[in-house]
Amino acid sequence: MSRDLNIKVHHLTRVEGHGNIVVNMKDGILEKAHLSIVEPPRFFEAMMKGRSFHEAAIITSRICGICSLGHQLTSLVATEDALGLEVSEQTVLLRKLLIHGATLQSNILHAYFLAAPDFLNVGSVFPLIATHKDVVLRALRMKRLANDIGDIVSGRAVHPITPVPGGFTRIPEKTELLEIKRRLLEEALPDGLETIETMKALAGAIPQFERETEYVSLKNPNDYAFYEGDIFSSDSGATSVRNYLDVTNEFVVNHSTSKHTKYNRSSYLVGALARWNNNHSQLVEEAQGAAEAMGLNPKCYNPYMNTIAQVVEAVHCILDSVRIIDKLIENGLKNEKPNQTPTRYGRGVASNEVPRGILFHDYTYDNKGNIVEANCIIPTGQNLANIDEDMQKLVPEIINKTKEEITLNLEMLVRAYDPCISCSVHMLEVDFIE
Amino acid sequence: MALLTIIGIGNRLRGDDAIGPLAIDALKALNRPELELIDAGSDALGVLEYFENKQRVLLIDACLMGRKPGTVIGFEPAEAQLILNQDPLSLHGLGLSEALAMAGSLKLLPEELKIYGIEPDSIQFEEQLSPAMAEALESVVAEVQNELQKVGGIPQN
Repeated sequence: MSRDLNIKVHHLTRVEGHGNIVVNMKDGILEKAHLSIVEPPRFFEAMMKGRSFHEAAIITSRICGICSLGHQLTSLVATEDALGLEVSEQTVLLRKLLIHGATLQSNILHAYFLAAPDFLNVGSVFPLIATHKDVVLRALRMKRLANDIGDIVSGRAVHPITPVPGGFTRIPEKTELLEIKRRLLEEALPDGLETIETMKALAGAIPQFERETEYVSLKNPNDYAFYEGDIFSSDSGATSVRNYLDVTNEFVVNHSTSKHTKYNRSSYLVGALARWNNNHSQLVEEAQGAAEAMGLNPKCYNPYMNTIAQVVEAVHCILDSVRIIDKLIENGLKNEKPNQTPTRYGRGVASNEVPRGILFHDYTYDNKGNIVEANCIIPTGQNLANIDEDMQKLVPEIINKTKEEITLNLEMLVRAYDPCISCSVHMLEVDFIE
Repeated sequence: MALLTIIGIGNRLRGDDAIGPLAIDALKALNRPELELIDAGSDALGVLEYFENKQRVLLIDACLMGRKPGTVIGFEPAEAQLILNQDPLSLHGLGLSEALAMAGSLKLLPEELKIYGIEPDSIQFEEQLSPAMAEALESVVAEVQNELQKVGGIPQN
């Protein structure tokens, strides 16, 4: 069918961090389909120069109010790698517990507040409050528990304070961890299982669209990798995190102020769906069952299913957190001090899986322990090329739909990736009734 | 129990957006046990949790109100029309307006809630307040002390 289509979805209501969808079709030929990012470039790397190794993670945790924990932990590991600081098993377990809390929170909020309104076709989360109050409260309850994990383990939910290079400045009490365990089993697990039922009921509204692409995530032999491991590509297998620049290959495009990346193909996907595709056999049994119940089967090439993969991960995070707490207590909580005596100065590279995908921090320190160079590659940047290519395949496939339906499908696609484009500032806009 | 809960919202790395957290720092330095002070960073949805079981809450945040930079306005949610981002593309699109709207519909709002909005000049990446904002910071801290006195805080000096 020959058709002209011109879609521009501008999100200009916010001050910073806009993602605009642009689609142009003329005489049935797609001229343009992409997500254009107009967020001004970040000056984060410049801000890091000259900072001491004690400060690096404090600054990076403030890049973003939602992704703070992921940035902080990745920053700590990069610093430890650069300065030769070994950390204890207890530190690693506590960090994994923190990542589970943050992943649970982000995945659940995304599924309920962004994806569910799309699946129910109600536009936004606000109508949901009137019709499905219990569901919204369930989401908030799970967010609350995730925050409390952050509070107890890291000293503060939003910008953690106790995780420092070499360990923790405060170790949680056994009673605090047992209380979290109780709530994980008695509150979060039933809420998680209810979430599977809710999403199962909505899954019919997920667009049927497939585009096989390259899936990139961390991978390690011991667990479903969130914390440390090798970089794994579904195309070419594993490579060391040290080689991340060979994976990301950042390049500039005209329509975006954020750089794009490519590895073995012209684009790759990171995030829950990539983790699922690469590591699903390492999920706890209940999470694998949840995936099956919601129709997520390996390998999944439908980017809209990212939301379902997030819910699967939420179930995993709940149960694996219980396992981690048991292990911490079984080992006996040790009131150890962080190891902050550098054994070398140089370059350190680290990577963790944060909710939106694989994150890289790369610092070089001088022999006084101050940063001379910093690089940080966030998941959203790595997904941008993949979003564009999804759109370019999707638009011709749905061209017979109305313009409104096409627009909604495109918005849903972008939302499925939950891009972090306006992560640094939250401004309240106010009109006074005068 | 604290007489008054103060929540500062903002990103310390984004110029004038730092006013909320910086106000919390300044109030901490006053050492007033009647105040409960919360630096919520830029996780606006977090206020839904902080509201729980609170009677009187003051929110401090940089607000786009179409006023001169540094203008401080104290208002209740009902006095203003908070502009909602109805159709966010990411979780990061859910800000304080959205959080307050949700709190309202879920009946989670504290009994008394006042917002101190301060008009920013610049919210670029930088770690310094603009001169107008630095002045505004002082008046916000003074306003909080006035509010505290109104609800039974013991006047200082």
